[in-house]
Amino acid sequence: MANTNTQAPPPYKPYRLHKTLRSHERAVSCVKFSNDGALLASASLDKTLILWSSSSFSLIRRLVGHTDGVSDLAWSLDSHYICSASDDRTVRIWAARGSFDCLKVLKGHSDFVFCVNFNPQSNLIASGSFDETIRIWEVKTGKCVRVIKAHSMPVTSVHFNRDGSLIVSGSRDGSCKIWEASTGACLKTLIDDKDPAVSFAKFSPNGKFILVATLDSTLKLSNYSAGKFLKIYTGHTNKVYCITSTFSVTNGKYIVSGSEDNCVYLWDLQQKTMVQKLEGHTDTVISVTCHPSENKIASAGLDRDRTIKIWVQDS
Amino acid sequence: MNAPIIDPLQGDFPEVIEEYLEHGVMKCIAFNRRGTLLAAGCSDGTCIIWDFETRGIARELRDKESVAAITSVCWSNYGHRILVSAADKSLSLWDVVNGEKIGRIVLQQTPLLARLHPGSSTPSLCLACPLSSAPLIVDLNTGSTTVLPVAVCDLGNGQTPVSRNKSSDGTPPFSPTAACFNKYGDLVYVGNSKGEILVIDYKSMQVHAMVPISGGAVIKNIVFSRDGQYLLTNSNDRTIRIYENLLPLKYGLSVLENLQSSANELDGVEKMKVVGAKCLALFREFQDSITKIHWKAPCFSGDGEWVIGGSASKGEHKIYIWDRGGRLVKILEGPKEALIDLAWHPVHPIVVSVSLTGLVYIWAKDYTENWSAFAPDFKELEENEEYVEREDEFDLVPETEKVKESDVNQDDEIDIVTVEKDAFSDSDMSQEELCFLPAIPSPDAPGLQEKCGGSPSKLLDSNHSGSPLSEVAAHNGQGTNHELSPLEDDAGGTQLKRKWKPSEKGLELQAEKVKKPLKPSKSSGKLSKAKSKSVVDLDTSNGATGVTPLIE
Repeated sequence: MANTNTQAPPPYKPYRLHKTLRSHERAVSCVKFSNDGALLASASLDKTLILWSSSSFSLIRRLVGHTDGVSDLAWSLDSHYICSASDDRTVRIWAARGSFDCLKVLKGHSDFVFCVNFNPQSNLIASGSFDETIRIWEVKTGKCVRVIKAHSMPVTSVHFNRDGSLIVSGSRDGSCKIWEASTGACLKTLIDDKDPAVSFAKFSPNGKFILVATLDSTLKLSNYSAGKFLKIYTGHTNKVYCITSTFSVTNGKYIVSGSEDNCVYLWDLQQKTMVQKLEGHTDTVISVTCHPSENKIASAGLDRDRTIKIWVQDS
Repeated sequence: MNAPIIDPLQGDFPEVIEEYLEHGVMKCIAFNRRGTLLAAGCSDGTCIIWDFETRGIARELRDKESVAAITSVCWSNYGHRILVSAADKSLSLWDVVNGEKIGRIVLQQTPLLARLHPGSSTPSLCLACPLSSAPLIVDLNTGSTTVLPVAVCDLGNGQTPVSRNKSSDGTPPFSPTAACFNKYGDLVYVGNSKGEILVIDYKSMQVHAMVPISGGAVIKNIVFSRDGQYLLTNSNDRTIRIYENLLPLKYGLSVLENLQSSANELDGVEKMKVVGAKCLALFREFQDSITKIHWKAPCFSGDGEWVIGGSASKGEHKIYIWDRGGRLVKILEGPKEALIDLAWHPVHPIVVSVSLTGLVYIWAKDYTENWSAFAPDFKELEENEEYVEREDEFDLVPETEKVKESDVNQDDEIDIVTVEKDAFSDSDMSQEELCFLPAIPSPDAPGLQEKCGGSPSKLLDSNHSGSPLSEVAAHNGQGTNHELSPLEDDAGGTQLKRKWKPSEKGLELQAEKVKKPLKPSKSSGKLSKAKSKSVVDLDTSNGATGVTPLIE
């Protein structure tokens, strides 16, 4: 890898399969490590969420309550609460320790709730739905603070930036928009082609860039203030499902994403080259998550697979 | 501010009432450093902390001791402490995070204004301006108070100050003297009843400089801008004056002492005036020459560009906004409830005003849709532009179109982790700032969460986190889950039926349960590519058996 960096990046250490977790009855839709790294949460179409220990990967608790499949989940800043988005049109807030109760049920969406996220201060939750709106909820009271008529087709992802002032949303209508969180005003539209659909969008850890996945098997990293796409990552397959991707920053900078060819792909962030392809799942890898401090990746597979696989780097 | 796409030009001034906050009768307000929390003191002695982002109550500071109406609230520099002064002559210091009172001091008179020392995050000193005597420096740990000098003659010339007030027997004038710390708290600026601004080193209780205001009217308020560059005074002659601070922000005291020693040939009052002229320079004066309004609670905007003053004459609720150059740019008029306190948000163009009825009004900019935000290549033009076509614009195959390369160098390094310092990193950030209070979701009432009235609910009622659920969890519940799900479905239907409009909703949901759209979220990608929104309909054909042929 000939590069113009001032310091050579650490030599890439490949990830290998560490464990396979089988406890969901149906396709797993989302996996996320908690912000403090202690727990791993997974959501599934079997209507439940499961909390696993992120060191031993033993099952800690199954959160039951939704009356339909769960599509997305998010951790609060202090890792004490989880919110989940479900096809039963509600968002639920769960206690991730102690009683593991469902603390609140947020109702308001008129169609499946597809994506959900806390703001960094974790006093607000943003949820995107098939009813084409984004709703912002107050965590404390469960009140819906704002309804943003965001898109003309289902909203596939919502994410707050680092200080909670902006929300980025992607939708099947092909557009990716940035909203001002306090007023709900549209600040910028990143792409607006009808095709392909935007399946996923999230801010980089410092809030300056946006990673956008579109259903033409492409991942793009954009500097949204200038509106330019700076990096493009290809090689995987993504034409059907809303596969989540993420940044891996614990040991060198990588982009990690699932794929419809049943593998997890890792790309070098700067070089855009694919550095590893993790094989093992038997169905589309729909969600990936990186541990906040250790070099661990968790990936989730759809219905023919139904497992969560944990990948670690040899030290 | 953090996000470069938020138009900086939008940071102007507010125009309309956006919302109001109601909880008890609020009397005075203060924003924390970043404007994420708003503290409001009430007439019943409680201090409410509002989460300004959600406009909900984040914390209430109350206890049995504090029952008297609050006269002022003040945050510590990094938002960990709040100082509250109340009508029962007390000063209370609260810890914001755990909502507990740290200490309480009773003074001889009710303090109308109390300000914590801005220099540290756990200040031990505060400034208190009582109802009818000179301002005090109060040591919060020991409770000892030191009276600040309010006249240059107090230095010991022995002459009794010529009182401008009607009382002729030499008793101290019955008017609150205004005082404030400068930005880093090494000096106190006092505005006295003779219309003089005194610059005092409170550690030595020495007046170092004096700036007389022409007309000599009693000074009612004195306040610094956030960056410490400008000082504002509000006098009885209904004029607001802006002074430029000529001293450096840090080490102002040592510069002041140098100035003092260099003016040694003069003495007493003259010396003070000469030094004073080097500390403050009159910049602007604001007054309403027509209606001659007595201004209430004047202050600067967060960036110091605007000055606001409130008017409560004849019970009105008006806010006057001037730019720093002196022009009146706007008059905001609120409901017919006298205005009693005013504050400008430290960051956003938002103003918060308190009315006599105890409501807090939030004024913000009128939201106008930014049309250029809706299309990526859309560029808004200020005015008509003459379009000059390219040389080859009308060619069959224009040269320039062939070269449609992106001008972005795709090999450039991107940094996704470094965070830029924002405008708030002005002081030494050795302490972590308290920006927000953790939001703890208040659990729904048990009735709302019940799945069903009958026995099946016991298995699912999350309030009973007892045996059934934990059994499920412990057994890696694959078997038991199946048992639960059918019950769950029915329960879900009935529960929702009961909560919402019984017949309609319940039937709708029951009908949908039959369709059982499996994985519509993820799998419908294929289907909606054909631009069909009717996900549920398509699934009806597949979902009856509970297994989606799409996947298999």
